[in-house]
Amino acid sequence: MKTGIRSWLDERLGISSIAGFLRKKMVPQHRHSLWYYTGSAILLFFAIQVVTGFMLAFYYKPTLEGANQSVARIMTEVPLGWIIRSIHSWSASFMIAFVFIHLLSIWIAKSYRRPREFTWMSGVFLLVFTLASGFTGYLLPWDDLSLSATKVGTDIPRSVPFVGVWVTKFLRGGEDVTGDTLTRFFSFHVSILPLLIFAFIAVHVYLIQKLGMSLPLSVESKKEKVKELPFWPNFIYREMVVWLLLFGILMTLAIFFPPSLEKTADLMAPAPEGLRPEWYFLFLFQTLKIFPPKILFINGDTIAVLLMFAAAILLFFLPIIDNKPAEKKGKVITFFAYVFIVFAVTMTVWSLL
Amino acid sequence: MIRGKKPAPVFLLLLVFFLAFFSGYDLAQQETPEEQSQAAQAEKEQEKIVSSPKNIKESTGLYVFVGWIWLAVFVLVFFLRLKIKEVDRLNRLGYFSNKKK
Repeated sequence: MKTGIRSWLDERLGISSIAGFLRKKMVPQHRHSLWYYTGSAILLFFAIQVVTGFMLAFYYKPTLEGANQSVARIMTEVPLGWIIRSIHSWSASFMIAFVFIHLLSIWIAKSYRRPREFTWMSGVFLLVFTLASGFTGYLLPWDDLSLSATKVGTDIPRSVPFVGVWVTKFLRGGEDVTGDTLTRFFSFHVSILPLLIFAFIAVHVYLIQKLGMSLPLSVESKKEKVKELPFWPNFIYREMVVWLLLFGILMTLAIFFPPSLEKTADLMAPAPEGLRPEWYFLFLFQTLKIFPPKILFINGDTIAVLLMFAAAILLFFLPIIDNKPAEKKGKVITFFAYVFIVFAVTMTVWSLL
Repeated sequence: MIRGKKPAPVFLLLLVFFLAFFSGYDLAQQETPEEQSQAAQAEKEQEKIVSSPKNIKESTGLYVFVGWIWLAVFVLVFFLRLKIKEVDRLNRLGYFSNKKK
């Protein structure tokens, strides 16, 4: 019976060729193998985001009058609604944290080297889309804090010469944050960004399958034969252990530390005290805060935003910048990864103090 | 004429004071900025919706649920470890590389 169903499906879907491919795929085993699990952890949290996001969308109303009330209803009336919202919120944080860890591990291991330039670049796009998802999702509860944070966040591009004002207007759907911004952010959060993330994950995974899993430079330079494990079933079973443990941690945090909801945002009210963005934007927020208002007759914000933009461009083109042959690679670029970690952690802690 | 006008503001002030005094209003009850901020914070806290179990039954249910999740996780991890040992043994024997051919 089982063999019959399998052959019936195989005839129509060609499952055996996929299974054959997975069996042939090998995963290198070395002392840095732990970082390979971060990629699949991102996929796990993204899947949780999609499922819980669909559930929340059944009840959420993206209107000025309905947004905050519908979230309040999800939290107080809908059965298990508050847990679903909490899982959605926590898995977003986990996903962003793992995207950062994954990117930094690749940066430090120099796994972006030829021929994996496009794999790296698609990963940088995924980082941007994931952060954008977090930013757009933050406004949706439409409370005082989210409104003020969005006002500050969408005002940042205004400092950029020539295109800044247009970008701010585009993000807000007008001069100021209004109901149009809410519907715009909702549309980005539930359709445009998830579609882009799906597309770029597909490209990213395809490139990983095509080029194979990379070896860190430190392992590759030893010129010893590296032990390998079949992806299916040896590596997948190991990944399942990681997924289960992460799922347990996620559920525990979601149940015991659910996000709260403040009163409906008042468009005319002044910004509340202690205004802060989500944790993953804190280092950027603090960097902007410490810049002086004027540097050599130029607006300090403009310089800060341009510097951040330049850093993002450099990050994107990292494989092109660091394109020396493996044996001649210096440690300066790896050193910058550690500098970035220290900088981000320091700024985040400073912002929290 | 001028002298006659002087008592009017004093009289009005006294009237306000006595009216306030007898209506129970404390003129000294001016909130300091700290008190105002505390009051605003308290008001904000009241308006904030916090997700939490509503009664002891729900609270116990949540603890049981979390316990059940972790029990399920550990049981599954235990079985997965057995499976990992088994497939690693098969891999060492070259079972999967034979299959590839």
